[in-house]
Amino acid sequence: MSSARRPGRFVTGAELPASSSIEVDYVVVGSGAGGGVAAAVLAEAGARVVVLEEGGHYTRADFNMQEAWVYPALYQEHGNRCTDDLSIIILQGRNVGGGTTVNWTSSFRTPEATLRLWADQHGVRDLDSAVLAPHFAAAEARLDVADGNPDDVNANNRTLLDGGRKLGWNPQLIRRSVRGCARLGYCGMGCPIDAKRSSRTTYLADAVAAGADVYSDCRVKLIETDRGQARTAVAEVLDRAADRPRGRLVAHARKGIVLAGGAINTPALLLRSKAGNDNGVVGKRTFLHPTVPVVAFYDQPIEAFYGPPQSVAIHHFADRGARVGYFFETAPVHPMLGALAFPGFGDSHRRITERLPYVQATIALLIDGHHGDGGGDITVNEAGRIGLRYPLHESLHEAAIDALGNMARLQLAAGAREVMTLHETPIVIRSEADIAGIARAPFGANQHTMFSAHQMGGCPMGSDPRRSVVDARGRHHQIENLFITDGSIFPTPLGVNPQLSIYAHARLFATEIARKA
Amino acid sequence: MERQSTGKLDRRRFLKRGLAGGAILIAAGTLPFAFRTTAIARRPRGPLRLLSIEEYAVLDAIAARIVPGDQRGKPWPSAYDLDCAGKIDGLMATLHPEVGSDFRRLLRLIESGLLATFIAGSPRPFTRATPHDQDARLEAWRRSRFALLRSGYQAVKRLVHATYYSSPEIYALIGYPGPPVVPPVPPAGGPT
Repeated sequence: MSSARRPGRFVTGAELPASSSIEVDYVVVGSGAGGGVAAAVLAEAGARVVVLEEGGHYTRADFNMQEAWVYPALYQEHGNRCTDDLSIIILQGRNVGGGTTVNWTSSFRTPEATLRLWADQHGVRDLDSAVLAPHFAAAEARLDVADGNPDDVNANNRTLLDGGRKLGWNPQLIRRSVRGCARLGYCGMGCPIDAKRSSRTTYLADAVAAGADVYSDCRVKLIETDRGQARTAVAEVLDRAADRPRGRLVAHARKGIVLAGGAINTPALLLRSKAGNDNGVVGKRTFLHPTVPVVAFYDQPIEAFYGPPQSVAIHHFADRGARVGYFFETAPVHPMLGALAFPGFGDSHRRITERLPYVQATIALLIDGHHGDGGGDITVNEAGRIGLRYPLHESLHEAAIDALGNMARLQLAAGAREVMTLHETPIVIRSEADIAGIARAPFGANQHTMFSAHQMGGCPMGSDPRRSVVDARGRHHQIENLFITDGSIFPTPLGVNPQLSIYAHARLFATEIARKA
Repeated sequence: MERQSTGKLDRRRFLKRGLAGGAILIAAGTLPFAFRTTAIARRPRGPLRLLSIEEYAVLDAIAARIVPGDQRGKPWPSAYDLDCAGKIDGLMATLHPEVGSDFRRLLRLIESGLLATFIAGSPRPFTRATPHDQDARLEAWRRSRFALLRSGYQAVKRLVHATYYSSPEIYALIGYPGPPVVPPVPPAGGPT
């Protein structure tokens, strides 16, 4: 069917009139991993599809690798998204391609243990690795996910490989979604050579080839329902420079609406619409993989600003029994991102930034939500402002102390001169004896740097309509033609970087939607 | 959070601290004359999109302490040289209007002599304090037992550091060679 259809278009907000309406089979809200693959599958099955994306449409020619442009242009809230108390800086994409435009390409299948946890404790039925396998395989093929490549390992990641091997922690090369990677090191800023296989360069391109239109600068404010059916998505057309509404677009859906705005915006959209939340679950149990970094200082240059940002992971501590697990990866150290993370101001801060080429950054991603901590709550106030209250549970404190100590051990084993935590009064570790000091340091909001690049949950899947929002095929329990295909559907965090799992689940869901249409 | 950070606070004390934090927030909304004595040291480099001239002056004074220029023999540009306050004004104008309102209120709170008396023992507005006193106040916010003040410190700290260190003028000073030259032939093909 798709071969007979004229290709669709990328349409920017500037091209739209002050008021317009369209009617299609499916409206897809969001253009990241979840939205891109859903649009492609549905359009290739012959459906008329429009994708509405809040962010701008940028291409490789725009990606100038300058942080001053990148974060305001490509990230949610112009790079300023945080939890309500500013304790966790949230890095999340906002552009055509969503998070996949700016992620660091790490590609993992959903761990078996996580799928079992969902089945055993969260009522997820009819979903296991066998069901997902063909969708992972297809996504991996489309995204050029290949075995980890030793040549991708830059000096920043080499420390994880060397230190991890010395300590017997089984460091693994990360599979990456790239083709023809030049190892520039700017995955988080949009790939200037399109070597990264993002949603924009793969599934969205497929969707457009099959007739879908992708509207950028269109922020969906409301989903309108009628007699248990999702009918309409009402969007503000944004003036991109001011990020203020300049018009209105109403998209009528003949068959269904697919939400894929990410694990913060999708729950927020449902809450704002006062739709599909009869059980009060929407926006609850939002998880972040709260991430605590350390920096290590080396005598030789590390240049953690160049080379693939993530190529080595250590999952040795992912399963700590009854305690919160965590895993190690690296973060690139560009000037702005580094300066944000480094504590203090004035001279003390500058003494760190001056050593930038010698800085190594290791991150511990805490696997929240597997051990009784409830994650965070999404809120939307009357003015439409999205909030995320995320209390730092005591179990995360224990995990953070353990992780910080082990990151210090890792870096000392790899040859670091010293390791520094990012507490407001940093703990400097030069030997094993210094590690005990970490447990005495304060833990809590704005006592130390924390990030999140992995937002999950808030619209969990499950078979029990009282405890979940969608079923294990992404179909909303109360609104039968409303589907969710982003990271909000995960009942708990994955314990690995989420992009590939979102692609695979979304592909499974969209295939079912198309089959039953 | 306070309980977790100290491990010793009982609930009653926690509530007391929480209420005190709330009182400060309310006070911030009732300081209509907080800017009456604001010292305007430098004019904005361009038209302001969100802030008043007084709010700009407070932000400019804060930025001057977070990234002081020309230290220890190196030619560090000042925050004003790089227009940090002006860039933050432009950025904040694009965020949700309530975020902008909160930010303006935060600047009012930092400038407030009343609050400074309470937390730092000095009644001078921030813009009229000595650099030494300004640093002490930022330190007091940074290490405050009140979560609200720590959040306020982080807001201005991050915004100033983000605008300053994303400026190419800084790159050479911190040993960052800048983005590499992009290979001329796109290897992957596909959409542009």
